[in-house]
Amino acid sequence: MSSAAPGGIRGLRRRRSRAIKANVFRTGVAVIAGFAVLAVGAGWWQVVEAERLATAADNPAVIAVARRALRGEIVDRNGAWLARSDRDQNGEALRRYRDDTISQVVGYASRKYGTAGLERTFNAQLLGLSGADPLGGLAGKFLPAQDRRLGLQLSLDLRLQRAAVRGLGNDIGAVVMLDPVTGEILALASTPVYDASAIADPATATRTFEALQADEDRPLLPRATLGRYVPGSVFKIVTGIAGLDTGAITPATTFQQQPAAEEDGLLVDGFRIRDGHHPMTGDTALDMAEATEVSCNIWYALAGLAIGGDRLVDEASKLGFGSAIPFDLPTAVSSVTSGDGRMPGGFSDDAELASAAFGQGETFVTPLQMALVAAAVANDGVLMRPHVVTALTGDGPGARAIGPETWRRVMSPDDARALQAAMEQAVEGDLGRLFTAGAAVPGVPTAGKSGTAELGGKGEPHSWFIGFAPVENPQVAIAVLVERGGRGGERAAPLAGALMERYFELYGTP
Amino acid sequence: MTAAIAARPASRFRVRPRPRFTELVLLAIVAVALVVGAVSLGATEQLRAATEAGKAVRRLDFLPPDPQGLLVYLLGLAAVHAGFVLAGRRTDQVLLPTVGMLGGIGLLLMQRLPQNLVVQSFGSAELGLGQLQLAWLLVALAVVGVLGLAVRSDTWLRTYKYTWAAAGIGLLLLVFVFGSEVNGARLSLSIGPVTGQPSELLKVILVVFLAAYLSENRALLAEESTRIGPVRLPPLPYLAPMVVMWAIALGIVVVQRDLGAALLFFAIFLSLLYIATGRPSYVVLGLLLFAGGAIVLYSLFGHVQARVDNWLDPWRDPQGAGFQVVQALYAFGRGGILGVGLGAGLPTIGGRLPIPAVHSDYPLAALGEELGLVGLLALLGLYLVVVSRGLRIAAASHDDFRSLLAAGLALVVGIQAFIIAAGNLKLIPLTGITLPFISYGGSSLLANAVVVGLLIALSDRGIEPPPAPRDRKRHLPRLSRLRRARVAP
Repeated sequence: MSSAAPGGIRGLRRRRSRAIKANVFRTGVAVIAGFAVLAVGAGWWQVVEAERLATAADNPAVIAVARRALRGEIVDRNGAWLARSDRDQNGEALRRYRDDTISQVVGYASRKYGTAGLERTFNAQLLGLSGADPLGGLAGKFLPAQDRRLGLQLSLDLRLQRAAVRGLGNDIGAVVMLDPVTGEILALASTPVYDASAIADPATATRTFEALQADEDRPLLPRATLGRYVPGSVFKIVTGIAGLDTGAITPATTFQQQPAAEEDGLLVDGFRIRDGHHPMTGDTALDMAEATEVSCNIWYALAGLAIGGDRLVDEASKLGFGSAIPFDLPTAVSSVTSGDGRMPGGFSDDAELASAAFGQGETFVTPLQMALVAAAVANDGVLMRPHVVTALTGDGPGARAIGPETWRRVMSPDDARALQAAMEQAVEGDLGRLFTAGAAVPGVPTAGKSGTAELGGKGEPHSWFIGFAPVENPQVAIAVLVERGGRGGERAAPLAGALMERYFELYGTP
Repeated sequence: MTAAIAARPASRFRVRPRPRFTELVLLAIVAVALVVGAVSLGATEQLRAATEAGKAVRRLDFLPPDPQGLLVYLLGLAAVHAGFVLAGRRTDQVLLPTVGMLGGIGLLLMQRLPQNLVVQSFGSAELGLGQLQLAWLLVALAVVGVLGLAVRSDTWLRTYKYTWAAAGIGLLLLVFVFGSEVNGARLSLSIGPVTGQPSELLKVILVVFLAAYLSENRALLAEESTRIGPVRLPPLPYLAPMVVMWAIALGIVVVQRDLGAALLFFAIFLSLLYIATGRPSYVVLGLLLFAGGAIVLYSLFGHVQARVDNWLDPWRDPQGAGFQVVQALYAFGRGGILGVGLGAGLPTIGGRLPIPAVHSDYPLAALGEELGLVGLLALLGLYLVVVSRGLRIAAASHDDFRSLLAAGLALVVGIQAFIIAAGNLKLIPLTGITLPFISYGGSSLLANAVVVGLLIALSDRGIEPPPAPRDRKRHLPRLSRLRRARVAP
């Protein structure tokens, strides 16, 4: 650097002083670009995300409105009121709920503890804050205030909901009933239930809520949508769907090694898979319907291995596994496997895959998910998007009816019919009746599958049943889970049968 | 510094008043805008109080919450304008109205927030948020006026660059030893009843030092390089003092946990280095250094991790750590395109503000809610005006030091506004620095007043170009050449 000639430095300096202007200019352009990013960021929050932010349940403006404003009314499918608002002596809004059985669906709206359930999902609409979309907001600025709050019309039938809660009795469990053709939820029960009116009433809110939070049975947890359980044999229907849809099995598939393995169990990767139906079936090689009828673990384990982990997980995801089910209430993710294994699909070995295929692997499901599995089979392979809100009612912006919507086609109608037949045999067949006693609705052809989810160690297994009726032109699909309820046929199946019977009492036998 | 200013014999300048029409018109617009804003604010607050009490409003008296305060502020602006007119200097006429508008918006915001947010008592007098902000704004206006009128030479700035650097470091050390801790950051220094944040002043000192140093060594930094393998680095011996100065400032700032100031310093350092040398490779190198530093900081310091995690997902703990971030976003969302109107925003929860630091860290969220996207963009536009005026002054200067100084001062305002605005809008993690001219705080207002005052002074396109800089320019290269000749064999 010392070699630079004196004159050279001065020349440099002159050349450079012109450059400094250009550098200043370029820096200015960079600053403008930076501010343009800020403008985009502001636009993102104030236009694109504005409505979501402005109507969030814990937004102080929303809380302030909620104190004064009366919330819209919530009614069931027959117009029976479920939640309504009055003013108390001080002129503040007070929310009341019809009874405890709907608490896990409708939720609560409390000044102190916020909102839950549908009260949370549709908080903005019920308060009349919806339609705060940027352009609608612009027009609203120059219009006089009007009653913008909306009511909710549910597809829920209060009578079925009450029957479901009563049927679960003192047990902890969940019932999901839906119309497989429309995806409308008819009953969505979780027990234990709680008194939502007591949470909404400021006078009793603290005492009630703290007691509920301390309760070890967790009454505030809506088990039907957020509870994750080992499925046991009801998962075999998922394996059946996956097998038929991928072509890995047909309804006529038999496995040569199956009858031989019944006596001592089937050895997979050193893990022995056992069955209990050996005395009934002897040396017969079972096909799909027979295996479903007697709930053959070995047949479904072999089917699962034939399908492979990858395809089993893929097919299950078509039914809603692997991500939260889009619904009017928050839903937990059902999963076929914990997914951290090195085998295809995330299974850790063949033993896990084989166990998962009959519902005893690392599989966890929500009752809602299993009800959708039954509904997909019932509706000839077409899965409807489940929904419980059928209309936003009122004069405010955003009032609309919410009709049935096809979610996806899961399997071909032929495959669905094969499974319908298998599930009918599991309920109506001579051997099936032994496993699903009480599930059959008198006078109505009924299909279904029971499940007994072994939890390891001592204690009763979870009792499961999924099914639908009638087999032709089905009207109702159901999933019943009773925690520690014993074998599927002992607790869940009779309850499902009784509830479906109640449905046909109310809506007429086909 | 007063000595340096006073040293110039007053007789050399003839004082002849010169009208400043642009400034006058712009100031009139600013005054009208602020009065309209204040009136609307007053009316909204009456309506809101009535609605909450459940009463109907028959007649609105259109009285701002603190009419005297606003009047005093507008008179202050007028006084500075009058001073500039009387002095007759041909200086920039846009900066004062722009900054006056920003300051006025800040004043209205502070008058509208709960006054007990900040209370200071002087003897028996107890001043609330709005009054304190007004007092600081008046002092700031005085600083702008005095600097804009009196500074005619920049010799006192460029000659004593190492003295300035030493003073700056001394200031920081003082804070480090005697400072008080607020929110886990050791930032403020109390002298009697007045508490200040010296890092605000430090940013001005940093610009002065960098401008002086870079202008002196610019040619060498731009042309020469040290090669390490294939990488061309700046000539290390010439870069060293600057990097040392920067590292010391940064190090102390990191020790004080003032991430915002550290980010600001670094950005100014890089931009001035680029303006002086025109070499993008330096910027790239600097950004790489920054990325490395950021990773080190993240893995070493819990409070940095907390900030970043909070930024990535504030909804993980919306009632705790993420509270302010989430509440600020809610405020932006409530504002929408047109805003809810001055005074109609910021719903309180149980008498508490949803954003506790709204007056210092989050004024943009409050303004975004009440003025909407439109108001927010206008506000950002005002900052761009300040930056563009400053850069224009930089480009018009014939002297490297002045160019770099003006550019640096303008960028201080622009980059600081960018950092805090981006933090508010969740584009980057939030760092606790102020929104220039708007946030509450004496140090911030004073430091930014110094920036604006100097910019106005530097913009002088008078008949007599300041003689001193030209003298310096002529003998400086000679000095450095001598120095080199001694080193060279």
